[in-house]
Formats: sequence, C-alpha cells, structure tokens
Amino acid sequence: MVALTTPVKSEGQRQRPRADRGPSGHTVARPGIGWALPAALFFTLFAIVPLVLVAVLSFASWNGLEAPRFAGLDNWTGLLHDPVMIKSLWLSVLLTGLGVVTQTPLSILLGVWAAGRQRNRAVLSAIFFVPLLLSATAISVLWRALLDPNFGVPAQARWLFGDGNLLGSRTGAISVLVLVATWQFTPFHALIYQGAARAVPEVLYQAAAIDGAGRVRRFFHITLPQLRNSIITSVILMVVGGLTTFDTVLILTQGGPGTDTSISAYYMYQKAFREFDFGQGSAIALLLVVVATVISLIVVRISGYDKMAGTKEGM
Amino acid sequence: MTPRTPVTKTRPVTKARSVTKGRPVTKTRPVTKRRSVTKGRPNYLAGFGALLWLGLVAFPLYVMLGATVQSRLEYSTNGPLSLPRSFSLSNYTQDFTNGFGRYFLNTLIVTGSVVAIVLLLVPPLAFSIIRSRSRGSVRIFRLFLLGLAIPAQAVIVPMFYVISKAGLYDNLIGVILPTAAFCLPVCALILTGTMRDITGELFEAMAIDGATTRRVFFQLVVPLSRGGLATIVVFSALQAWNGFLFPLVLTQSEETKVLTLGLYNFQTEHGIDIPGLLAAVVLSTVPVLLVYLFARRALVQGLMGVGGK
Amino acid sequence: MIRARFSRTAAVGVTLALGLSLAACGGGGSSSGGDGEFHVLVYGDATNKVEKRIVETFNKTSKVKAVLDTVPGADYQKKLQTVISTPKAPDVFFNWGGGSIQPFVKSNLLLPLDDLIAKNPELKSNFLPSVFNTAEVDGKAYGVPMRGTQPVLLFSNKKVLADAGATTPKTWDELLDAVKKIKAKGVTPIALGGADQWPTLMWFEYLYDRVAGPDLFKNALAGDKAAWESAESRKALAMIKELVDAGAFGTNYDSVKYTDNGSPALLSTGKAGFELMGSWAYSTQQELNPDFAAKDLGYTGFPTVEGGKGDPADIVGNTNNFYSVLKKTKHADAIGEFLKLMYSDEFVKAQLAIGNLPTTTNTAKFLDASDNPDYLKYQFDLVDKATSFQLSWNQAYPPAADAPMMQAIQQFFNGSMDADAFIKAMQALSAK
Repeated sequence: MVALTTPVKSEGQRQRPRADRGPSGHTVARPGIGWALPAALFFTLFAIVPLVLVAVLSFASWNGLEAPRFAGLDNWTGLLHDPVMIKSLWLSVLLTGLGVVTQTPLSILLGVWAAGRQRNRAVLSAIFFVPLLLSATAISVLWRALLDPNFGVPAQARWLFGDGNLLGSRTGAISVLVLVATWQFTPFHALIYQGAARAVPEVLYQAAAIDGAGRVRRFFHITLPQLRNSIITSVILMVVGGLTTFDTVLILTQGGPGTDTSISAYYMYQKAFREFDFGQGSAIALLLVVVATVISLIVVRISGYDKMAGTKEGM
Repeated sequence: MTPRTPVTKTRPVTKARSVTKGRPVTKTRPVTKRRSVTKGRPNYLAGFGALLWLGLVAFPLYVMLGATVQSRLEYSTNGPLSLPRSFSLSNYTQDFTNGFGRYFLNTLIVTGSVVAIVLLLVPPLAFSIIRSRSRGSVRIFRLFLLGLAIPAQAVIVPMFYVISKAGLYDNLIGVILPTAAFCLPVCALILTGTMRDITGELFEAMAIDGATTRRVFFQLVVPLSRGGLATIVVFSALQAWNGFLFPLVLTQSEETKVLTLGLYNFQTEHGIDIPGLLAAVVLSTVPVLLVYLFARRALVQGLMGVGGK
Repeated sequence: MIRARFSRTAAVGVTLALGLSLAACGGGGSSSGGDGEFHVLVYGDATNKVEKRIVETFNKTSKVKAVLDTVPGADYQKKLQTVISTPKAPDVFFNWGGGSIQPFVKSNLLLPLDDLIAKNPELKSNFLPSVFNTAEVDGKAYGVPMRGTQPVLLFSNKKVLADAGATTPKTWDELLDAVKKIKAKGVTPIALGGADQWPTLMWFEYLYDRVAGPDLFKNALAGDKAAWESAESRKALAMIKELVDAGAFGTNYDSVKYTDNGSPALLSTGKAGFELMGSWAYSTQQELNPDFAAKDLGYTGFPTVEGGKGDPADIVGNTNNFYSVLKKTKHADAIGEFLKLMYSDEFVKAQLAIGNLPTTTNTAKFLDASDNPDYLKYQFDLVDKATSFQLSWNQAYPPAADAPMMQAIQQFFNGSMDADAFIKAMQALSAK
C-alpha cells in the first residue's frame, strides 16, 4: 500500500534554536535523543541493515544451503546478459507507464467530482472508494475468479470476451493487470485529488466566472494548474508502486504466459525463491530501488517540485 | 473513458452561480441547496461519468456478494451474472471450518502487535523530533525520510536471511517485526505533522507548572495528538492486515498462516470453488469494512497516511 | 468525538491482541536434537495419516524414537531449502528424488544409503527398479520410496468420445483423428491446464520419449546440449506444434488451471474429450464428480508414435516420493530400521487404502482387496512393465531450472517461441 503525508513544515522552523527558557523565564522541558533511539534502532535493524545487506548479497553467490560466497560482479554481468531480465525491466516500465496514463486522468476527474459537496456525491463516493478497503491479495483473487474463462464472466459474455483467453495471451494478461491496477488504485489517487481540489481558493473560480469562463475552461485553467503538486505526488506514488507491483502478478499471472508479464519485482521473487539464486535476486532488488529512486528524482527535478517549501514523500 | 471528461465541471459552476447572485460564497451546505433552485443546466455528463465508474466498481462487488450466497452447483450452472435464486451462508461457515478461523486469529495477532509496536515507538520518536534540540534528532528524522523510499520488495531477500538466522522463520514474530518497521517512516511523518500543531504557548504553560519531560509528553502531547494517533493506528493496522509479501516469504505452516496467504492458497488449491473463495475474500474484508462504516474519516486518513487534521 | 472514541476502542483492541500474541508466541518451532530421537520431515497432506501410523509402529519397538514433522503447502521445497543447512534440519526428509535432492548432494549434506543397503539388500531389492533408481545421484542411492507412484495417463470422457464417433487412441494418428472428430462436434478435444505450466510439460515428456526414446533426455540432463538440437528433438517439437495447430487444446488453455480444478471440470462436464494428467486425476474426479468417475471416465497409456524409437511401454510422471537421510544424523542405524517399514505389508495396505499405489515388489498381492482394483492393477502393470519411467523433467532438473524450463515450454506451446529459441532455452538450463 502506498502512503502520502502532509507537507513537512519548513525545516527552519524546527531547527531555529530556541532558548531553553521561554518568554516567561521558566525552564522548558525538552526530550533528549533517547526518546527517538528505540524507534531509530528498530528501524535500522529491520530496514536499513537489510538494505545494506541486499547490496552486499548482490555481489555474492548464495543458494541458501551454504554460506554466501563473494562472487564479484557475476550477478550483475549475469543480469546484463539475461534476456528475461531486460524484458522484465521493459515490462515494468510498460506496466507502470500504462498505469500512470490510465489512472491519472481517471483519478483527477473522479477526485474533482468527489470534491463537490453535494449530498449525492458524498453517498456515491462512499461506494466509489470501496476497492481501497480490499487487500491486493483479495482484489487479485476476486478478479482471477471473475475472469476464469470457463466458470467466470467470460463464459457468460462470449460476445465480449471471445474465447476468454484473457490471462493466457500476452495482450490479455497485460490488459488485465492494467485494469486491475486501475480498479485498485484509482480511488486512492482520487482521494489525493479530492483533498487538493477542495483546497483550491474559491476566489479563483469567482474571478473566472466573472470573465464568463465555461466549465471546461475553468477546469483546464484553474483546477488543473492548482492540482499540480498533487499530480506530481500521485505520479511518483504510481511510479514507485508500479515498479514494485508484486502481489497482483503472482496471483493473476505468475509472470505468464511464458515470461510475458514477468515484471522485475516478480522476476526478483522467482530468482530468489523459486530458483534459490539469492545473489541475483538481490541484484534485481537493488536495481529496482535505484530505478525507482532515480525516476522519482527526475520527476521531482523536471517539475521543479523540490524548490517548493513543502515536501511530500511516499513509499 | 472519454465520456467522463466533463465530470469535473459541476463544482466550479455551482460556486460561480452563487457569485452571480451576489452572495458571499461559503463552503457550507447551502451551496448544494441553492443549486436546486437555480435554473442552470445540471451536469448530465458528469452524472453519466460517475455512473459509469459506479458500474465498474459495483459490478465485481455485486458478482462477489451474489456468488457467496449461492451453492457451488447453482453458481456453476447459472453463471456469475445471474441473480442468486437461493440464499445460504454455508460458504461462509465452510470457510471457517477450512481454517479461516485460525488465519483470522493470526492476522489479528499480527495486526495487534504491529499497532502496539508502532504506538510504543512512534509517539516518543515524533515528540523527540519536534521538541529535541539535539542534532541527532534531526539526523534520525532524515533516516526515516530516507526510509520512505525503501520498498519492502527490495529487502525481502536479506530479510529472509536475517529472520531465518534469528530462528524466527515460520513464526508470527518474524512477520510482525519487519511489518512494524516498515510502518515507522510514514507513521513518524504523520505524527510529527500533528504534533507540530501544538502551540508553543502550551509548552510554555507546562513549563510554568514545572512539568517534567515525561509529564509534558503524557499530559500535553499525547492528548493533543489523538487525531494523528488514530491515523497511525489505522494506517499500521491496514498495513498489517493486508500484508502479503512478508508472510508469503517468512512463514510456511498452517499454524502461522494469515488471511492474505490463506486466500492465496485457497485460490491455488480450490480456485474453481468460486463461491467459497469469494466468501473468504468477503470475510477477510469485514473488519476493514466495519471500520469504514464507523470511523470512515480516520480510515480514509489512515489509508492516505495523511495527518489527522 | 467519533475519533476520540475510536482511538480508545483501538487501544483496547491493541491491548487485547497483544495479550493474545504473547500467548501465541510461546509455542511452535520444531527442532531436532533430542538424544533418543530423530526427526522426519514430510510434505503435509492427506497421506500423512499413513506416515503417522508407520511412525507409531516404529516407535513401539524402537528405542530411538521417530518424530514426524509435516510442512503443508506447495512450498515444501522452499522450507526444506531453508532449514536443511541449519541446526533445525530434520534427520530424514521427504523429496521427489532426481534434481530435487541434487543440490543437497552437491553440498555434501546427504548420506549415501549404500552402507545401509549393504547391511540389508532388501532396502533396494524390494522396490521396483525403475522407481528406485530415480533417487540415485552419481550412481549412489540417496532415497527409499515412501509413497505411491504417479504415472501420467491419458484420461478421457467416454461419452464425448462416443458422441463424436471417436475411439480411445492407440496411435498418434488415431489421436489426431479423434481430435478432428471431437472438434467437429464443437467440443475442445483436449483439456489442458496451461496456466499451471506443468500439465503442458507432460506432452513434451511423452512425445520426446515416443519419438527419441528415453536416452535423449537423459543425455541432455547429463549435460549433452547437442541432444536438444537433434533431428528427433525437432521432430517431437514439430508434432507438438501439429497438435496445437490442429486446435486440439482450443485457444484459451493458458487461462485454465488444473490445480484449481478447472481442467478436470472441463473433462467431467463434457466440455473436453481428453486430458493428459498424472494418475491422481482419478481420485480428483472421484472426489469432485463421483458420477462421472464411475460412469464415463476412461484412462489409457500415451499413444505410440510410428517409427519412433521409444518403447510404447515407457511412461513418465512422478516415480514416487522418497525418504532421504542427512549425513549428520546420529541415528543412521535406527533410520535403517525405520526405512525397512517402507516395504512392510502394513505400509502397502495403508497406502492402498487411501488410493496410493506403492512401488514395492509385494504390492501386487494386495491389489485385489483395494477400492479401485482395476485402476490400480492397470497402473501397477504399467509401472512394473515399463522399460523406462522418466521422472518429470522439472523434478529431474534441480529447482533452479524449474522456472526457465516451464516458461520455455509454455512459450513454445503457445507459439510465442519457435523451435530454435526453445532449443536454445533448454540448452541454457543449468543441470548443476
């Protein structure tokens, strides 16, 4: 799942040294670093240390039976010459790109629509956001059942689905993954836009109305530019989420047919936990972290987002 | 999906209309009411688009609920699209005899423990970040910001290594610890956001009373961060409840199976028993649905990881 | 206010759950060690009741006690791989022979059974040879058969065949003819759970055997990459292509699974005429569709291929499961005694009672008393007379080769990979 946070308030405010004595002259009790240490240690142990280990393991050969052995660049050169790896990266990018392209317009429209305070919208929104409540596992299982060619919806709607070979063909499987991701994540991103759309200052619309701007123009000239930050946040979350998609692929396609949906995150799992080549698995994992971080940074740079006061982060 | 484009126009229109009437615009309900008395054209396209999405969301849910109250035979003869002709809850009860009771309990244990760890660690952390003047606290905050960028998938291999070396493989503790750790960055961010809203005057007032750090924390900071606390509880509970990757890789046996894994296994073993499978999906979602019904705001904020404001 | 109440409720919930978790975390975790006992790790499923019973029988007379640990789920191999090099490793463990134990042998973890066999030759001679030698690595025995054999058979829906005017095919040409007739009726000729991948593999295993004989694969497994390029290999591939292109499997087979009972349902409901599947498909049908299993379920061996080198009596499938022993065990002699029970009368009867077909030489005399004597006798004869019983390719190779092999199989079958690319992919599999 993804998370988004409120803008962190400017660092200056926090770092500005304050006198231990307040205006009234009394000593203000302040927590020492000890208050933060338990959390920091815990997090270091279970997130930072594994991250360092993944880098170390990517230079090792380890099958889980014997102790890991240093293997130099073997894993990396292996990946470079592995056509499936190249394909998996391309697939990750393709699926992520398709996800951004389908989900962004949908969620903007839905979010802006749901930002309206009409009663019927509130009621409908409550239903719209139900996919948010289901786990990725539940969603994948649900769609797998719905799309079963012989016992699911395709069997009853031959006019639409033909032979129902959805998960068994390349285009079919990719379309299903994109559709399921849209169903699963659009509500989440719509929520981001709903919040942002509600924050658009009324006065802008008033001014536009006086100018006689129509609905379409107001949307493109006021709403959309005002949503800019949210679009960046949402796209970053989609990119990171898309590159690390795993549950849906495992349950819906197992990377198939063949390797046609073996995106990198799944390929990493396959290498590590089906082929017991933990070294190569680690190398793929590290590559994923790097790619996701680089893409996020590029989006931030291009948009000039980093120059704004507030920062938003997502995982 | 082009027909939905105009959906968004409605809101500006209603607002704008009120302006022409020369009344001050407020964000309050009357806007909606006024809409009904003005002659402006309703936004049919927006309504149509909304209905389309409603169909897309509701259809799978309808098939799901419909299937779960039918017998397997009825479902396979009538297909997923037909209206259920009988009603029975046997699919649900059967799931429980198939082990879902245990998975439910395991998931509850994992969720409860993760939430407990988060509640134990994050409030002092956030307190220290906003109030401490040591450089260390700043660094620690940076550490957590960095942590936001680490996806769980990336560390699953070494996690597997660490957990098996620690002898926690196939043990719920081995799932709880990493799950909780990966909740920390977002929760820290949420809670620091909330705590920053506590004004300096309040701390000042506590200082006049000669309060200790501990008293400041328990009597001022914690009570005033309730919103943020509720959000991090929901956020971490959702992460734990819906978690899949850690249980998949770090557990094995029936005794440690959580709901998401149970669903996955059910699907691989009896996927064609669609009513039973979908009933299991519904069961796994019931607790979240209850929270949605009774604490929608906290849930939505927890989902978004937004500070409780 | 709602929020305030909510967080209080949450707090209560947390406390409650934490209490539960502390209570639950106490138990769990098997470990070997105890001086007077050894641990037996087994794939958890319905057959466990036999294993439990055998362990009880053993413990009645033995001073050193056996402790049975079961690991449910399809990820048994994963669990095994995790614990086998740790102090928690079992002394004896279930496996599929062949490639599934090869990495352990390479890592010097397993005990060759030669000494035990030297002391008690029956440990080898009381099992069917075609099965026993599946668990030999580099000429040394590493496993004793401990469950039932599962050859792959061609199952059919007799009613669909009759309606289409087709007969049970004895030869490849008859199969093609039946496919044509059934297809003309608008029914998918052959059900295939292609999404699982391994059902597709079965067609490769049989055609390679029928066309080229068992040696082609054996050579390939031994590292002879040229085997895959041979004319026979290409002929087998061409025949598979011919069958697929004839529409024998319909078009949506890669969306269908066997494991979720999708393809068995196609066969039982008359939506398909044949299914090539392991012998367990019989009990699957008995459980899911008892009427169909009793009336219309037919079974036969794989058709012969004219001019092919393979003996028509050759079979493929899971030869059996095996018990292997860890080198570091302290109780090798007691385990030798324990393994003797794997050919006892009690063992054979108990396995037959739950529908498994043991591969001991004394199995035959108990078949008449079993529930499905005809089916079991048919299978037993098949296994007994087989000149070659090829272990499934994915089990014969070490686990590392599994995923790439399966992907190549699926891609060649659905046409997204040509013969040259397939051959290259198979050559790239590491047999190490």
